[in-house]
Amino acid sequence: MKLLKKSNFHGGIHPADGSDKILSNQQPIRILNPETVEISMKQSAGSVCKAIVKEGDQVSLGQLIAESSGFGSANIHASISGKVTEIRKTKDEQSNEVEVVVIQSSENMVDHTTSKTMAYQNRILDISGITKEEIITSMKEGGLIGLGGAGFPTHVKYETPKPIKYVLINAAECEPYLTCDHRLMLEYGYEILNGIQLLIKAAGAKMAYLCLEDNKEDAANHLQQLLEGQDLPVELVLLHTKYPQGGERQLVDAVIKKEIPAGSLPADIGVIINNVGTAKAMADIMFTKTPLIARCITVTGKVKNPGNFYVPIGTPYATLIHEAGGFTTKNNRVIIGGPMTGNSIMIGGELTHLEGSVSKTSSGLLVLEDYSLIESPCIRCGECERVCPAGLAPFKIDFAAIEDNINLCEKLYATECISCGSCSYVCPANRELAYRITVAKTEIFNLRREKGGKR
Amino acid sequence: MQLKNAEQLHDISPHLRIQRKTRDIMQDVCIALLPALLGAIYFFGIRSLLMVLVAVISCVLSEYLWQKMRKSQITAFDFSAVVTGILLAYNFPVTTPIWIIVVSSIFSIIVVKQFFGGIGNNFANPALMGRAFVMFLWPASIAGYITTYQNTPDAVSSATVLNMLNSGKEIPYSLWDMFIGNIPGAIGETSALLLLIGFAYLCYRKVVNIGAALAYIISVLAMTFIFGNDGLFTGNILVNLFSGGLILGACFMITDYPSVAPRVKITIAVIAGIITGAIRVWGLLPEGVCFGILFANCLSGLVDTVIKPHIYGVGLKK
Repeated sequence: MKLLKKSNFHGGIHPADGSDKILSNQQPIRILNPETVEISMKQSAGSVCKAIVKEGDQVSLGQLIAESSGFGSANIHASISGKVTEIRKTKDEQSNEVEVVVIQSSENMVDHTTSKTMAYQNRILDISGITKEEIITSMKEGGLIGLGGAGFPTHVKYETPKPIKYVLINAAECEPYLTCDHRLMLEYGYEILNGIQLLIKAAGAKMAYLCLEDNKEDAANHLQQLLEGQDLPVELVLLHTKYPQGGERQLVDAVIKKEIPAGSLPADIGVIINNVGTAKAMADIMFTKTPLIARCITVTGKVKNPGNFYVPIGTPYATLIHEAGGFTTKNNRVIIGGPMTGNSIMIGGELTHLEGSVSKTSSGLLVLEDYSLIESPCIRCGECERVCPAGLAPFKIDFAAIEDNINLCEKLYATECISCGSCSYVCPANRELAYRITVAKTEIFNLRREKGGKR
Repeated sequence: MQLKNAEQLHDISPHLRIQRKTRDIMQDVCIALLPALLGAIYFFGIRSLLMVLVAVISCVLSEYLWQKMRKSQITAFDFSAVVTGILLAYNFPVTTPIWIIVVSSIFSIIVVKQFFGGIGNNFANPALMGRAFVMFLWPASIAGYITTYQNTPDAVSSATVLNMLNSGKEIPYSLWDMFIGNIPGAIGETSALLLLIGFAYLCYRKVVNIGAALAYIISVLAMTFIFGNDGLFTGNILVNLFSGGLILGACFMITDYPSVAPRVKITIAVIAGIITGAIRVWGLLPEGVCFGILFANCLSGLVDTVIKPHIYGVGLKK
């Protein structure tokens, strides 16, 4: 196992002491089959699809229910068999209309995950009979998107004309509290390794690095054992436990020791990055011929029994919290994703009021104690600048954004912000730096698009 | 650009925040300054405590009244004015009239801090500006240095060590006396030992970075050693280190947040060190810490613009 103790990326923080992950990283993944699923037609940011089923239709597991609507979106499939009881319309954060397909499961439910009887779940397969095109086609048809959080369609990454040298499998899981990738590696090792094999082939790459933080040494040892004696071009890389180690750019910096030029994609320097969950899903899609219909999600924080759940896409969040024993605090703040970049969907409400359902990108369902902050003036301590992984001066961009000086924001490279939230975390004056810089960044991109220039 | 207002920001990520807030940082600085206050009382008598109290109360009160008057957010009780008050009093000898302390406190807070936008926006260290203000208007009022109660039974007026050094006189104090602070000088600056104890606490609490303080001390010592009284490379390093306000300046003034751009702290500290050394060697004043640091404070913005940061991925070939 390769140990990358010294290599590092600039900045970064240690937002938690490890007690957050212990809540759920010892619990085996529980498989859940809900009676109803509510599949949103928006599975990742900026990609709203249109349902192709009607109310009253019978659908079977894996049936296509929405087609990719363009560059940033992927196919959506029924995650359980049953009857479409309702097509509900909701609004997303940008107040776009989003359809939600509600499916009530039929009596004879197909259990899609419990037993490990397939060959790819128990050993490393020979994939010489599978062509690169076949893999990319199955990604595309199986609706595979990045399961790490950004949710970019995977096949788009692999259709790049650029020569790819390395595939980086991102298992850093640097967000505090989340442990779903950790558990996946411990329990679905062969699926992951077979998936990685397929990804290497799809990319035409030389090898893959599986990168994890050193707080997951047990997972690294386990995978190392599976790799023992196998002729697989996969190397494990153990990295510092530091947030945002799993950021795409930071990971490339730490592992390949190269920076991705501003405005470029990792493919431009010959790298494709995928989440470890995506690798597992790849193998599932390829070898079971079922599209992406389930994922692992961490339910943790202020709930009675924190743990990881393997659930169909569309499982209501309320069902998950219920399964985890319910809230342990009234003053709750429910967050989708990790605590650093996740969105809060409910504050201080009852479980019955919790809306929303698991999407392909939901990696965590986190309940924290709610708090209020009052912003006070910046004291120029420079902490934000010290921890910024992009090397920016967040407090300066913050001032420029408050003054609505978009030109200055651009000069200070607000566009290079990765929105990791490290600056807001360390700010002793509670300033919402990351929020305002992200707004400025989006604004700059919008202006550039209007001018007709490229990103 | 559409920004949310304060009420709408409640659910903004990240949902984890560091526990240490502005107030905690300022409290830490106050705690770090306490040992030196005890030293001041021991060496110069209870009047030192009175001076510090007067300065602190004037600072906090003037900040509070100003913010009340301007109807702005009241931050007077976040301990930053307390820090300014303590540092200001530390810069004066024990004979300083009380009204001088009040006037300079008001000047520090209102003119240097609030005129430029309050906490975080002062271009220079308010305490040092307060001292400089008095030095220009009432120089005689802060020139009455006396010996400590531990040296002579009755405190008598005396020149400071740096004065003696500059005029080539024999220095009647041992290095140990200079280290623990048993010498004439401003109340808070004499005891290197107690200041360093406080500074160690600040470093331990990660409030300040030791780099800037070291850079400042080393560059002052290098300057004074190279251009010594008896020709090149003859300066007295230890006397220069433990006399005057060098340790106080290095530990608590050059490390002040707003007056030095965070990214270029070390560079600014070196510039401040060179100027301080130059004033000590060639200047009319025996002591250069105050003006050395103020001068560097003024250059901070320029240096921050000249030295470009490395931004991830910027400037690389696509």
